[in-house]
Amino acid sequence: MKLLAATIAVALPVLLSSCGTAEAPKPVAAAQTPRVLIEDAWVRATVGTKDTTMTAAFMALTNPGNADIKLISATSPVAGMVQLHEMAMKDGKMVMQEKAGGVSVPAASHAHLSPGGDHIMLMDLKKPLKPGDEVPLTLKFSDNTTHDLTVPVKAFTEEEEHYHPTPTAK
Amino acid sequence: MKPSRRQLFGYAGAAAAGAAVTGGAVVALDKDTPAPAPVSRNIDPYGDRQPAITAPSPRHGELVAFNLLPGTDKAALARLLRLWSADVVALGNGRPAPGDTAPELATANVALTTTVGFGPKVFELAGQKQAGPDELPVMRHDRLQDGWSGGDLLILVGADDELSVVHAVRRFVADARPFATPAWRQSGFWNGTGPDGKPVTGRNLFGQVDGTGNPAVGTPEFDATVWAADGGTTLVVRRIKLNLDTWDELTRSEQERAIGRKLSTGAPLTGTAEHDELDLEARDADGRPMIAANAHARLSHHSENDGRRIFRKGLNYVHDTGTTRESGLIFLSYQADITGQFFPLLARLDAADALNEWTTTIGSAVFAIPPGFQPGGWIGQKLLG
Ligand code: HEM
Repeated sequence: MKLLAATIAVALPVLLSSCGTAEAPKPVAAAQTPRVLIEDAWVRATVGTKDTTMTAAFMALTNPGNADIKLISATSPVAGMVQLHEMAMKDGKMVMQEKAGGVSVPAASHAHLSPGGDHIMLMDLKKPLKPGDEVPLTLKFSDNTTHDLTVPVKAFTEEEEHYHPTPTAK
Repeated sequence: MKPSRRQLFGYAGAAAAGAAVTGGAVVALDKDTPAPAPVSRNIDPYGDRQPAITAPSPRHGELVAFNLLPGTDKAALARLLRLWSADVVALGNGRPAPGDTAPELATANVALTTTVGFGPKVFELAGQKQAGPDELPVMRHDRLQDGWSGGDLLILVGADDELSVVHAVRRFVADARPFATPAWRQSGFWNGTGPDGKPVTGRNLFGQVDGTGNPAVGTPEFDATVWAADGGTTLVVRRIKLNLDTWDELTRSEQERAIGRKLSTGAPLTGTAEHDELDLEARDADGRPMIAANAHARLSHHSENDGRRIFRKGLNYVHDTGTTRESGLIFLSYQADITGQFFPLLARLDAADALNEWTTTIGSAVFAIPPGFQPGGWIGQKLLG
């Protein structure tokens, strides 16, 4: 399938609730290398869950350019440690593990970080996250770009088990 | 749950087409002819102004007014508006809202729009009380119920598919939960498409063509009527019960006399086509005004109101309790200035309108409709950012 990169750049601008730090990308001329566009970002609330020390961030990443780009790392002041995770089958069981090499955003395509799929794991949370909070999140990509986001915290219950793996002893 | 590549680029392509297209005609296809790429009916959620106001009337609409929770301060309200803004964009483009628990219910190409409004309390929180929407006094004919009146925030979702409206509203209500709680909700419907697929004015439950006298979108008259200097407007929501039982007891000519227009076409009683100008001077053989002194179309006409106009865009409603049905009009009026434009009209109609005999206003609320927003921005950023 051949895709029109320029169209996508115009169609999917960043709509994150930035607090002025995140630069809204300008529509990209064909010759430039466009940045990844980030949409629909959110973090799952931890208040009322079994383990309030970790959660995950989800979003849609769009790469309007014609070279693959990778999300290589993420950081947030609310978390002691942030990792890029994937869900994988191990010994017949779905487990969550660190994603080696980061999350690829193929040229002229998307990557979706979603519950049950790849996600950004926020660990060692300094305090529980309530629905209605906002969390700063910084993403680093293989094209040497950095994106500072302000991501809303939302209540969510579906597939909660994936983010709260039952202790192996059980 | 992960959309396929094809679907994703479908979304992107649809969003790129942007503009609203009305009246999607049905095309008969030959088996051998490949289906033409569908025309996008998504309405661009971004812009200098919130887009629903100038878009064609949606088939289905739902309004939810919210009261802010006691703990919601200015900063919290800004957080709510940032996350609502992201929902507005995602849902308007046919994508699930972030964190959507029923993502399959988000559908593209249903002309879904969301309008966000601010009640007087929002301006108090922002420290700009005097900039808030002017509140309306209770009129002589009003029988207002608290359950249909007031509100600190408004969400108005419209689309040509009711499931999409209901789904979007559910997301806005869920995302508001930490900040605000619903005060009232009303839903209604409008048919602005004729049998030939072309746009028409549409009818209310009295059977009247309703909306003819509106200033036309895109004219200087429209802009002067609707837009305030900051690119926003105001919205008056009046829930008006129509007494269809007593209305049905009238003859057609009595019904037409009450409004001053024909039921068949909406034409003035002095004309033949819907958009003919009213001749307010014309008299019949007995010397009586053809358009009665208390006819609604006369009393509300701009020429009788020092040129004052409003832009009406209502929704019909029915409300069932057991086997009893209440019918009415969710009267929605946009104007730059409530006190200067809407209130004098309302006062005049309350005093003398022939329609008062069959209509009762049971709910009333006023909202400021802030300007639209661009990528990277959010609704209300100027007031609360
Ligand atoms: C009680 C329910 C109401 C019904 C059923 C109703 C119905 C109608 C109808 C059928 C028309 C003529 C066609 C048209 O121009 O759209 C009309 C015109 C109009 N109505 Fe109403 N209306 C109602 C309430 C109101 C209220 C509360 C206001 C404002 C306070 C209002 C203001 C107007 C205006 C400004 C016009 C246009 C006059 C012009 O030709 O310039 N109406 N209405």
